[in-house]
Amino acid sequence: MIRFIVRRLLSSIPVLLGVVLLVFILARVIPGDPCRAALGERATDAVCNDFEARYGLDQPIPIQFGIYMAKLLTGDLGASIRFGRPVADILAERLPLTLELTLFALVFATFFGVLLGILSAIRRNSPVDVGTMIVANLGVSTPVFVLGLLLQIVFAVALRDTILSMPPSGRLAAGVSVVPLATSWGLKDLDGPLRGIIDFASNMYLFNTLVTGQWSAFWDAVRHLILPAVAVGTIPLAIIARMTRSSLLEVLGLDYIRTARAKGLRERLVVVRHGLRNAMLPVVTVIGLSLGAFLSGAVLTETIFNLAGVGRTIVEAITGRDYIVIQGVTIVIAIGYLLVNLIVDVSYAFLDPRIRLT
Amino acid sequence: MTVTAEPLPELAADALVRARPANLWRDTLANVLRQRSAVVGLTILAALFLVAIFADLIAPYPPNQSMLDLGEKVSRQQPATLRPCVHALGCAADRPQHLFGLDGNLRDEFSRVVHGSRTSLRIGFLTVGFAIVVGTLIGAVAGYAGGWVDNVLMRLMDIVLSFPSLLLAIAIVTVLGSSLINAQLAIGVVAIPIYARVMRASVLATREADYIAASRALGESSTGLLLRRILPNSLTPLIVQGTLGIGGAILEVAALSFIGLGAQPPLAEWGAMISLDRNLINAAPHLLLFPGIAITLTVLGFNLLGDGLRDALDPRLNR
Amino acid sequence: MSRSPRWSLLAVFAVVAIVFAACTPGATSPSPSSPTATQASQPPASTEPFTGTAYPESGEAPCGQAEAPSGFGKYTGEFKKITAQDARTVVFELCSSDVAFLSKIAFTSFAINDTGWLESKIDPAKTENQDIVSMVNGTGPYSLTSWDRGSQIVMTANPNYWGEAPKSQTLVFRWGTEAAQRLTELSSGTVDGIDNVAPEDFATVQANADLKLEPREGLNVLYIGMNNNPKVEGFDNSKNPFANEKVRQAIAMGIDRQRITDQFYPPGSEVATHFTPCSIPNGCTGDAWYDFDAPAAKQLLADAGYPNGFTTKISYRNVARGYLPNPPAVAQDLQQQLKTNLNIDATLDEQESTTFIDNSDAGRLDGLYLLGWGADYPDVTNFLDFHFGSGATDQFGDKFDDITGALSEGAAGADDAAREPSYVTANNAIRTHVPMVPVVHGGSAVAYRADVQDTHASPLGNEYFGVMTPGDRSQFVWMQNAEPGGLYCADESDGESLRVCEQVTEALYAYEVGGTAAEPALAEACEPNAELTVWTCTLREATFHDGATLDANDVVLSYAVQWDTQHELHKGRDGSFSYFPGLFGGFLNPPPPEE
Repeated sequence: MIRFIVRRLLSSIPVLLGVVLLVFILARVIPGDPCRAALGERATDAVCNDFEARYGLDQPIPIQFGIYMAKLLTGDLGASIRFGRPVADILAERLPLTLELTLFALVFATFFGVLLGILSAIRRNSPVDVGTMIVANLGVSTPVFVLGLLLQIVFAVALRDTILSMPPSGRLAAGVSVVPLATSWGLKDLDGPLRGIIDFASNMYLFNTLVTGQWSAFWDAVRHLILPAVAVGTIPLAIIARMTRSSLLEVLGLDYIRTARAKGLRERLVVVRHGLRNAMLPVVTVIGLSLGAFLSGAVLTETIFNLAGVGRTIVEAITGRDYIVIQGVTIVIAIGYLLVNLIVDVSYAFLDPRIRLT
Repeated sequence: MTVTAEPLPELAADALVRARPANLWRDTLANVLRQRSAVVGLTILAALFLVAIFADLIAPYPPNQSMLDLGEKVSRQQPATLRPCVHALGCAADRPQHLFGLDGNLRDEFSRVVHGSRTSLRIGFLTVGFAIVVGTLIGAVAGYAGGWVDNVLMRLMDIVLSFPSLLLAIAIVTVLGSSLINAQLAIGVVAIPIYARVMRASVLATREADYIAASRALGESSTGLLLRRILPNSLTPLIVQGTLGIGGAILEVAALSFIGLGAQPPLAEWGAMISLDRNLINAAPHLLLFPGIAITLTVLGFNLLGDGLRDALDPRLNR
Repeated sequence: MSRSPRWSLLAVFAVVAIVFAACTPGATSPSPSSPTATQASQPPASTEPFTGTAYPESGEAPCGQAEAPSGFGKYTGEFKKITAQDARTVVFELCSSDVAFLSKIAFTSFAINDTGWLESKIDPAKTENQDIVSMVNGTGPYSLTSWDRGSQIVMTANPNYWGEAPKSQTLVFRWGTEAAQRLTELSSGTVDGIDNVAPEDFATVQANADLKLEPREGLNVLYIGMNNNPKVEGFDNSKNPFANEKVRQAIAMGIDRQRITDQFYPPGSEVATHFTPCSIPNGCTGDAWYDFDAPAAKQLLADAGYPNGFTTKISYRNVARGYLPNPPAVAQDLQQQLKTNLNIDATLDEQESTTFIDNSDAGRLDGLYLLGWGADYPDVTNFLDFHFGSGATDQFGDKFDDITGALSEGAAGADDAAREPSYVTANNAIRTHVPMVPVVHGGSAVAYRADVQDTHASPLGNEYFGVMTPGDRSQFVWMQNAEPGGLYCADESDGESLRVCEQVTEALYAYEVGGTAAEPALAEACEPNAELTVWTCTLREATFHDGATLDANDVVLSYAVQWDTQHELHKGRDGSFSYFPGLFGGFLNPPPPEE
């Protein structure tokens, strides 16, 4: 087991280096002028030369890469060209939102996906089953941006003033603020990495408001997350539902289930205790694999719902030619994504001993 | 965006391949036709292909024809004039008929949606075709050569897979410049690893098979072996994966077009059409709805067919 | 229960921890989301006698410098010296007369900051990311409470405001790029006012009893640019149709500009008769633009040697502006018209925004292109000189002596009447040479909830929210196109930042509510001498949000840090201070020109 993990870890190092190099190259060859993107359309050439010298943009590309790697190894992601602020700060503000959105969507997709999957499996070929599968197939085929725009119009405008009404965009209602954790915990003067982690957690509004008991802000944050989470989560939900159904059907057909049934165990017990446990293996894999879909969905959803997460940040950074932000955010996302995949792999190996042998 | 565009784990790719070699094409066809989803998918796709082929006959107007040039009294500033006008549904007979209404440039939306089917089908096939060709090549070389070649190639594939697919595609298009071709290329590149993995697994599985060993003993060259023996036996998983991939590719190119990185105006492409008239959503929501439904139906068709094919071609995964 | 959620949760938390641990050491800056409230950190106003400062401290700026000093460029600015005569009096000495002086000092970038604030919030040792970018201490009706990056800016009414107290206790700024999305917010009642309603939604808003529309006059222009001599490597200008004046004139009369205006612009937009909008003094003197006449245009094209048209491209950027609310739609219609009216085949060429501006400025666009201009301050020089003057970029290729001559004459004129003949000449010459085709002065509109009282829309885009009463609510929420880049508006140039600053900070003068006339703000008055070269401003009694008192030295320093590139506080978000040279001719100690 440990050998498997170590081997898996080692093999991801060259991949990681490749990712860094690829992102660096991509960010450099993007056409467009970072100076005028940062300083405005009316910046003069003299101002721009000065600007390029300041950011080392006038150096040869290999030297730029060397400087970049050296900084990266010390944990310095650089400062945004457009905002003049450290990329780490921007990530600390924006990554929490994307994580929250992804987690919320993940919970939504997993809960309803597994539930619908089980219902269809045990009522195979019933209207519930057929309905679920039709919805699942449509869900996988609907573009996230169409779904997002439709949800907005339906729940924010058409259903305005009903109990189903939802806020159309944003993260909190105007004027609602969340007290930072550092303030509520009396740690305002704290500095260093711990403070960074606290601020990061603080920007996970659901977590923050939950632990400090800011209930109205919590409820407001939840309401703002529902529509985007549905938009992001629908495709994974459909996939999870299908996978749960087929996996459960397969397991329920196996010998030991028949034995359990023959022993006279109640059907519910059979399904839950024996069937489900074993059917979950492929479902876990599918959830792990869907993380990419969640993140891709977040890019589109954040644009539509006007949420300042990393997805929108990266799209804006690309249009604004903000190399440093593009690099920093992409690298953090890629590393995170790589690690999640690693963990999924390891957990899979943990759940299914056969894997370790291959 | 979709599971189909996401990587299969090597395990699953393995599983797809371990299926028996598909040499019973007639049985297979019968099998496919027994799958309800495949039949529905095929029906949708057949209709779609007919629409695409006969687009010029079906569409009452050229896709880029402005009704202003034909002297129609319509205006974007009076969104009511953009609404669908169907005589059978009570639209005044003196107004020209527009089944899906007019778009923001006063063009016939129905004609554009119809012509959009050509664009989307072309996108789907070209993108996936490109990914399959390149992916198969990489996978075959990696699997066959083994050793460091295998290692380097598959690590390269891992790097590509280390990005959420849409994000990498966005980055690639930004570098190459916004155009439909570049968007397809980007989506294609992002999809390569899936096929490379499928192919590699397939090569690894068949390499040691008896009949391959026999061919080798008979002195067949490596290339010959690859082309004549191994590739045909890998077709099943490639076809299944490819069919599912087309739906995904269409969705992703539409997403790129939606954020302005794909198809450029005035080309009738569904994602670009939605993007172009996005700000008309309050005044003329049908401009969002019709292309949206068109995308969903098309992708649905490919997904259903893909599912059906998988179930039919691969008894082990039969559910 | 499925194990999956727990697993994935764990995974994501682990990632967060690892990733974050990896990127924090370099970032020990203050908490990114902590409120940036301005606290009373300033000692109470001292009773010490006032010592007036001046800038430059000794001597004066080298007006009309002939030779650049080594290491610097020539001084081209219009300020000679700024002096604090006493605590309440500031004197601006100029190099030459300037009729537009009051309009210029009213601009938001020249808001007055407190000396103590500038010195404590700008660190000479840092090049950028100064504290002053996210913290603001003004004299205006609202003070900044917090800026939740990415989501909102919250402001609170200033109880000590010298003018009329703001009508709402709290003012919130939000933003969203899509016009339809802003309207969705407004219709769902989550915001009180929105910027730039989509032209097609004017009817939607008017039909909705809960909403009301405030049209905004179009102090802008959309034009179709043509370059008579593009700076493209290997370009053969003898084959450039646009080098031929007849071709340019053919385009000028071969495009149905009325159709474009009617289809894609909201009510309140006007087909352009001249480049400059008519509401700007001397804006539309001279002959009106050509009437649409396709046959005549085709004849001209044939005379020029293109009886069968030619192929070209239409470049544009997909960025909505008041002068071009829907770029791809207009570009496509233009494409259609060129084909139908002139048999010109044009392909569309959408470019990334800054690339497009760079290409245009450098004269690298060798086809037709769609670009526009919005007024910074209401003077004809802001339109004509920038585009066609001797200092203009190469965007239209070679310049025309009769245009540049008339423009430099006009700029030096003492008053609007004296300047008129020069602008008649200039406008007629533009009409003859057709460096571009002015298309439309685009109207736009803002919308409010119907119960908001005393609403207005500003032609310069700077609405004052303090005068509006949001029904029975104590909070006014405004939604605009984008988040501000920073709140130190001396170093900002986009309207999204400027509008936020306008609620918090004040300049010596201000534009009237909903109009363009400059009226006194922090100055009770600024009086010129007879030659309009010395302006003496008397300040009013005002306090900053942090309790500091306004005095003449604050004015001198606020200008000096922008004016002199060598000033140790000449720093901000990125240090470009682009509006200062734009309006006042140039920096002191400007950087040397490129060789």
